[in-house]
Amino acid sequence: MTIRLTVNGEERDIAAAPMTPLVDVLRDTLHLTGAKPVCREGFCGACMVLVDAVPTVSCLTPLVLAQGRDVETVEGLTSADSPMPVQAALEEHDAVQCGMCFPGMVVTLTHLTTAGRCEPSREAVKAGLVGNVCRCTGYERIVDAALAVMEDRP
Amino acid sequence: MSEIAERAVQNFRRRDARDKLMGRTRYTIDRGTAGMLHAALLRSEVPSGRILRLDTTAAACMPGVRAIVTAADAPGRAGLGIADHPLFAIDTVRYCGEPIAAVAADSERQARDALAAIEVEIAPLPAVLDMGSALADAAPLVHPGWESYEVLTPGGMRGGNVAWEASVDRGDIDAAFARNDVTVVESSFRVGRQNHLSFEPRAVLAHFEDGRYHIETSTQVPWTVRNTVAALLAVPASSIRVTVPPVGGGFGLKFDCALEPFAALLARMSGRPVRLVNSREEEMTTCLFRENAEICIRSAITPEGSIAGREAVVLMDCGAYGGEQVFLTTMTAHTLGGNYRLGAVRIVSRAVYTNTAPNGAFRACNGVYNTFALERHTDEIAAAIGMAPGEFRRRNVIGDGDLGATGQVFEGDVLAPMLAKMEALRERTPASLPGDGRLYGRATTVGTWFVFTGPSAATVNMNADGTATLVTSGVEIGSGSMMQALPQIVAATLGLSPDKVVVRAADTDAAGYDVGVGGGRTTVSLGAASRSAAIEVRTKLLKVASDMLEASAEDLVMEDGRIDIAGARGSGVTIAEVAARAQALLGPVAGTGSFTGAGTPAMEGCCAGHFIEALDIPVFAVHDCDVAVDPGTGHVEVLRYRVVQDVGRALNPSAIHGQIQGGVVQGLGYALHEEADVGRNGAIRQTSFETYRVPLAGDVVPVEIELHEGAPSIGPLGTKGAGEVPILNVGATIACAVAHATGKQIRELPLTPPRVLELLLDRAQAPDFPHIGSRHSDNRLATGTIA
Ligand code: FES
Ligand code: FES
Repeated sequence: MTIRLTVNGEERDIAAAPMTPLVDVLRDTLHLTGAKPVCREGFCGACMVLVDAVPTVSCLTPLVLAQGRDVETVEGLTSADSPMPVQAALEEHDAVQCGMCFPGMVVTLTHLTTAGRCEPSREAVKAGLVGNVCRCTGYERIVDAALAVMEDRP
Repeated sequence: MSEIAERAVQNFRRRDARDKLMGRTRYTIDRGTAGMLHAALLRSEVPSGRILRLDTTAAACMPGVRAIVTAADAPGRAGLGIADHPLFAIDTVRYCGEPIAAVAADSERQARDALAAIEVEIAPLPAVLDMGSALADAAPLVHPGWESYEVLTPGGMRGGNVAWEASVDRGDIDAAFARNDVTVVESSFRVGRQNHLSFEPRAVLAHFEDGRYHIETSTQVPWTVRNTVAALLAVPASSIRVTVPPVGGGFGLKFDCALEPFAALLARMSGRPVRLVNSREEEMTTCLFRENAEICIRSAITPEGSIAGREAVVLMDCGAYGGEQVFLTTMTAHTLGGNYRLGAVRIVSRAVYTNTAPNGAFRACNGVYNTFALERHTDEIAAAIGMAPGEFRRRNVIGDGDLGATGQVFEGDVLAPMLAKMEALRERTPASLPGDGRLYGRATTVGTWFVFTGPSAATVNMNADGTATLVTSGVEIGSGSMMQALPQIVAATLGLSPDKVVVRAADTDAAGYDVGVGGGRTTVSLGAASRSAAIEVRTKLLKVASDMLEASAEDLVMEDGRIDIAGARGSGVTIAEVAARAQALLGPVAGTGSFTGAGTPAMEGCCAGHFIEALDIPVFAVHDCDVAVDPGTGHVEVLRYRVVQDVGRALNPSAIHGQIQGGVVQGLGYALHEEADVGRNGAIRQTSFETYRVPLAGDVVPVEIELHEGAPSIGPLGTKGAGEVPILNVGATIACAVAHATGKQIRELPLTPPRVLELLLDRAQAPDFPHIGSRHSDNRLATGTIA
C-alpha cells in the first residue's frame, strides 16, 4: 500500500506498512536522519517534527496518520546554508554539546517562538520544553537562546 | 611562552554546532552503506544458569539470515586487570541480558525473528543479586573458575566473589582510635545505580575488507576497542581499524568496548557490512551503570578538631564481570580518602561480583558517591564536636605540602582559597528564602578529583596554504574539547587563528595510541601531545623564516598568521609563505608529539592493588546550594546552586561553563531522582525513559560559576580537565543541604519525595550491612589470596 504525504514541501509516496513509525520512514526511506529515535515512546522529543505545523513525536506517529499531511523536519526548517533564527540563537549562545537532542529542540522552539505562542519568560519557555529532554547541557542556554529569539521578534 | 598561553584563551565557537542544529551531523546511528546487514543479539533472560543446549540450525534457515555467531566463534576473554569476560556466555550465563548468540540478516526485523528461532535451553542456577548475598558465607560463586583467569595487571587481592581488593594502610590507625581524647564518629551509606542515558545508544557499523576489520563506532576509546576486539576474536590487533564519527553523548558509558566485536565477527562471517545498534531497552538494562555501592566510614577526631585517623570499607558492585570497577577500587583512596589532612588511614575498596548486568564508568566514577559519603560524614563530625561545618572544613582541607591518603605530597593551597571564593560568591548571589512553610537548608562541600593522564599521541601537518591539520585518536563526544581546546592550543603555538586548524576525526590507522576521551584527559593528555607536535612545527618554520628574513630565530615572533621580526610588525612574511618555502626546500613540514603521566609517587609501601597510587593532576571543586523542602510532600526544590572549580587555566571559559551547567544538572538527577535497581528476577527494573526519570528543563536552575585559576598543573599551558568534575559533589551538596533543612541524617541517595518523607517521619531505616564486618580485618582478604 502506498501512502502519500508532503515532506519538507515535496509530495512523497511511501510504500510501507501503515503502522510503520513515521520516524523510521523519514530516516530509513527518505534518508532524513535529523530526527532521532532516542526513546521511541514519546518522552524525549528528539524525534520531534511538525505535522501540519504542530510539534509531533514522529516515533509514536504511525505513517498512516501522516497521510495527506504536511510534515516538516529539522532539515526542512533550514534553507541551504542559512540557519533560522532559533538555530542562529542556539549557536550564538554556545548551547550545543553532543547535539542529539537539538533537531527536536529546534523543531519545538521554532513553534514555541512564533508570535503569541509563549510568554517570553523563563518559566513559560521551560514549560514549553517539557517534551524535550537534553542529557548534556542542563538546559539554561537553550532557554536563553529561546528568550533572545522572542525578544528580537518585531 | 606566556603570551602563547594568553593567546590560547578565547571563547572560540565549536565548528560542529551548525550542522548539529541543522540535523546534518551523521552520528554512527545515522550511517549506512550499500549491502549492509542488520544484527541483533540473543540475550539471556535468567541471571544465572547453565547452557544445556544451543542450536542455531533452524534460525540459520530463516529468511534473510546471513550469519549467526556464538561463543564457539569468539574464543578469547578480555577485561581490566583480570581477563574474566568472554564475548558470549560460554556454558554459563551470569546476568540477565548476557549475549548468547548474534544474528545478521537483511533487515532488523528478520534478524530479530531469527533470534526467536534459536533453540536454547538453560538450567537455572542460584544467583547472587546483591553484594550482601555475594559476600554471605557459602555464597554461590559468580566465577567458580576465578583462579584460572589471566591476570592482566598484578597486585590486587582476589578471592571468591571479590573480584579485586585495593587497600591503603598509612600510619598507626589502631593507636589513633585508641587515644582517650578522640571523638569517634561512624557513618554508613548506600547508593543505587545511575544510568548515563546518553542519547545515542551504543552503535557500530563494521566492515571486513582486504583481510582487515574496519569498525565505525560510537565510542570514547578507539584504541581499547581495537585491542579488545583483537583479544576476544583472537586476531592480531593490527588487523583492526577503528574510526569514530561524532558521538551522541558518552559520559563514560562508551569508555569500554561494547557491541563492536559482535558486528566485526558477523561482518567477517557474512562478508558484508554489519550494523548493530542497541534498542533503548537493551541500552537501559545493560548500561554499564555508575555502580551501586555501600560505604562505612569511621573517624577519630581530636579535641582541636583534626582527623587523627580514618578507616573505611567501600563495596562496589561490578556486576557479573569485573570491568571498570576493578580499576575504580583505586579511586576510593583519592576520593573518600581525599579533601582533608588525615593522621593515620586504613581503607579497603572492593569490587564485588554479582549476577547482575556489569557496571562501568560514569563521569567522576566512584568519586560521586564517595564524596557524598565523605561530606555527609564530615558534617556529622562537625556536629559531634560542636564546630560549624564550614569552620571544620577550613581547618582541615588539604593544602600545600600536606600528605594525601596514600602519602602523596600535595602542592599549593587550592581548596582554602576556593572556600573563600565560595563565601564571596554566596554573598553576591543570595537565595530568596521560601517563606511559605517549607524547610530551608544550605550547605557547602568540597571534593577532590583528578585528571586521568596516561599516553596520547599527536601529529601536526603544516600545510603550504597556512593551515594546520591535527591528527590524534581523540573523539568528540559533545564536550567540545576536540573542537575548541585542541585547535586553540595548536593555533596559539603556531600563531594561527584556531579556525585555521583542521582536526582529524579519530582513526587508529592514522594516529598513535591513546587511552581515550574521558577522565578529563582530552585537554591535558591529547592537548600536551598536540602542543609538543605544534612546537616541533613551530621550530621548523622559525628556522626557515630566519633564513628568509636573515634574522635569528629568537628575534622572530609568530602571530596572526605571520612571522615578523620582533617589534617590527609587517617586516616579515606570512606563515603560508614560510610553509610553502619549507615544503619546496625540505619537504612538507610536520611535527609529532606524545605525552603520558608524570608518575607522581605515593608513600612507599602503603598501597596495595592500586592502578594509580598518587594523582598527577588533582582537581578540586567547592559546591554550595540552597534548598527548600516541602514537609507535606517531601519534594526538594533547589533554589540556588554555586560552583567554584579548579581549572588550572581556562582555555575556553564559555565551554567550561557549559560543562559545569550540564554536569551539575546530571548530578541533580543523581541526587534527587535518578536510580536504577535490580528486580527479584535479576533484571534491571528501569527499562525506559518512562521509568527512569532524568532532569527536565523545569527542574533546573542556572548554576552560578566561578573558575579558580592558577593551581599547579602539568597540563599544557597549565590546564586541567574541566568536563568531568562538575558532577562530583552535587549529590553531597544536596544531601548536606537537605540534612540541614530537615535536621535528619541522610544515608542514601536519591532524595526522592517518598524517601524525604520517610526521613521527616523518622521512618527511614539506616542502612544495615551484615556482610561488612565491624572489625576492619574482617573485610580484608588474607594475604596469599592473590591469584
Ligand atoms: S524518540 Fe520520539 S519522543 Fe523520544
Ligand atoms: S546536547 Fe546532548 S542531548 Fe542535548
